[in-house]
Amino acid sequence: MRPEIRALQEALAGEGYIAEPAIATALFLAQEMNKPLLIEGDAGVGKTDVAKVLARVLGTELIRLQCYEGLDVNTALYEWNYQRQLLRLRIAERDGQDPSQLEDLIFGREYLLERPLLRAITRREGPAVLLVDEIDRADDGFEAFLLEVLSDFQVTIPELGTIKAEHVPYVVLTSNRTREIGDAVRRRCLYLDIPHPSLEKEVRIIRTKVPGVSERLADQIARFVQALRGRRLARSPGVAETIDWAQALTRLHQDRLDPETVRETLGCLVKDRRDIDELSDAELSALVAQTAEAAAG
Amino acid sequence: MSERDLVVHLARFAGALRAGGVRVSLSDEIDGAIALTLVDLLDRDEVRRALLVSLRIRPGDRATFEELFHRFWIEGVVSPHHPAAMMRVVEPVGAAGAPRPSPVVSARVSENSPASRQDEPEPEGGIPGYSPEALLRKKPFDECTPEELEEMERLLASLSVKLATRKSRRLAPTRGPGVVDLRRSFRRAVGAGGELRWLARRARVVERPNLVVLCDTSGSMDTHAQFVLAFMLSLERVAKRVELFAFNTSLTRLTVRRGKGRRGEMGGGLARFAAEVPDWSGGTRLGECLADFVERYAAPLVDSKTTVVIVSDGLDRGDPEILIRAMRAIRSRAWKVIWLNPLLGDPRYQPLARGMEAALPFVDRFAPAHNLESLERFITRLEVA
Repeated sequence: MRPEIRALQEALAGEGYIAEPAIATALFLAQEMNKPLLIEGDAGVGKTDVAKVLARVLGTELIRLQCYEGLDVNTALYEWNYQRQLLRLRIAERDGQDPSQLEDLIFGREYLLERPLLRAITRREGPAVLLVDEIDRADDGFEAFLLEVLSDFQVTIPELGTIKAEHVPYVVLTSNRTREIGDAVRRRCLYLDIPHPSLEKEVRIIRTKVPGVSERLADQIARFVQALRGRRLARSPGVAETIDWAQALTRLHQDRLDPETVRETLGCLVKDRRDIDELSDAELSALVAQTAEAAAG
Repeated sequence: MSERDLVVHLARFAGALRAGGVRVSLSDEIDGAIALTLVDLLDRDEVRRALLVSLRIRPGDRATFEELFHRFWIEGVVSPHHPAAMMRVVEPVGAAGAPRPSPVVSARVSENSPASRQDEPEPEGGIPGYSPEALLRKKPFDECTPEELEEMERLLASLSVKLATRKSRRLAPTRGPGVVDLRRSFRRAVGAGGELRWLARRARVVERPNLVVLCDTSGSMDTHAQFVLAFMLSLERVAKRVELFAFNTSLTRLTVRRGKGRRGEMGGGLARFAAEVPDWSGGTRLGECLADFVERYAAPLVDSKTTVVIVSDGLDRGDPEILIRAMRAIRSRAWKVIWLNPLLGDPRYQPLARGMEAALPFVDRFAPAHNLESLERFITRLEVA
């Protein structure tokens, strides 16, 4: 393994993120090749955390753009501060100035409200990490617009002219795969698919994130969650749920799983009523026994 | 291996991936070449990971990738044949040793790169011992006069247009009623010296949603095969993004020819679809087929902007639990689920459909579509919202 990649992997671990070599390699390549990284995976596998922890490792700001259906340029890029502009006009009027001569003034930078994309471009202190979260939720129209920004990192504001990036930000896009991301965006990015973690990784994540947890409990929790994922629930628990559950169990001073506690705390892990109803007591007991056995053996 | 050999090797590898059905464009290949200059080439795993990221291998193509990777980068077996055209584009990058393709190169690449993967191989011939045309002729719909058939086509066309319309959450400027658009209102006001004389408004845009249509082609639907076909063909004409599936004992994704075909050309469409669907008018495994759909296609095709239309009589001999699960999964992803049941209202139809009963709670709209009148009534009630 290239030393730089190993160093990056260790730096990520230092920030509490257990990254497989695949994730470290992808981040390294994205930085070196100056390309956005598109991360896909089920909810709760830690896609967003990749960007957060990358910002911490690089010691830079994380600028986040949460996508949703109907997200438009005003929210993503910039907006004029109309209230201030109007106020300025009123003052000018009172002073007897001709409002039409004020145009240059009120369409200056201090009347501009920077939204995430513009802020990521205009940041002076060095490149930021720009997280475009859940791009699959935005409409394809927005995707096309984003593509334009990502390809040349410059933005044209009619009243101000073109603003070019001071530093090209590190861009991370995430998608829950609720729809296919367009080929154009895909081609512009490097691509990383994050699967649910392996058993060993999940144990390590639990032990890192929940300090009070015993080794045995962490192992049992991870095995239990992995068994649940194999059961094809409507909503499979992600790593975030595993951590919540581990925290709940340590608060309850458990050092091993037992069926009653599992039933009582199942809401931390399984967040769909039908899934909870479907998991019978007998099945939970069997799963607990099975994981205890596997953990012991 | 020299840098040049490496690029050649990569090009062959990419060619093999393409031959294996994995979509790898030339720009992917160029990125792959750059990525290889950045990693430890002696570490096979690192090479593998770098190629996964830079060639943008999707989870579904992972198995093919792993197999070919093993052949090409571990065993070192290389097929002697590779398209020379591929090399012409890749070479300048390697030769110049540039860390990144210049804009000119990438522009040319995107022009040259095949826009999409080669067409799926055409299914071979028809199914022996079965002729959908012959079946159709026996059907009551065939007793319809040509005028009546035309009427059905006209109605289906307007149904298709309605299904293919949806109000977006995106707001766009409008002259009519809508929410006040502060940005444009103030902008006018600033121009008018701060006088807010006119309020600009925005309203939800009407856009075309994605449509996924699943048609039952099992034996119990035979009497309505003509209806199903006409529906599929009219959808093909009006909907921008439509995916068609046929199911009986198994699920088949149909090739959609957008905007092709004219009204009254039922025969051609029939032959075309029939060639693609195995076991037309066979048995039904409704639950299993829908579960298969959820498993393979729901994630990329169905989202909160997709209308899923199921045309079926809901006769299912399988475990209703499987159907319920599948319907629930579809319901949770889709914007709207519509079930058209051509048999409902037919006097010969015995409402024994267990499957139908199980599926109903997950359906937004359930409508009979057994004759022209019912179809018309359904269309008028289907609002655009």
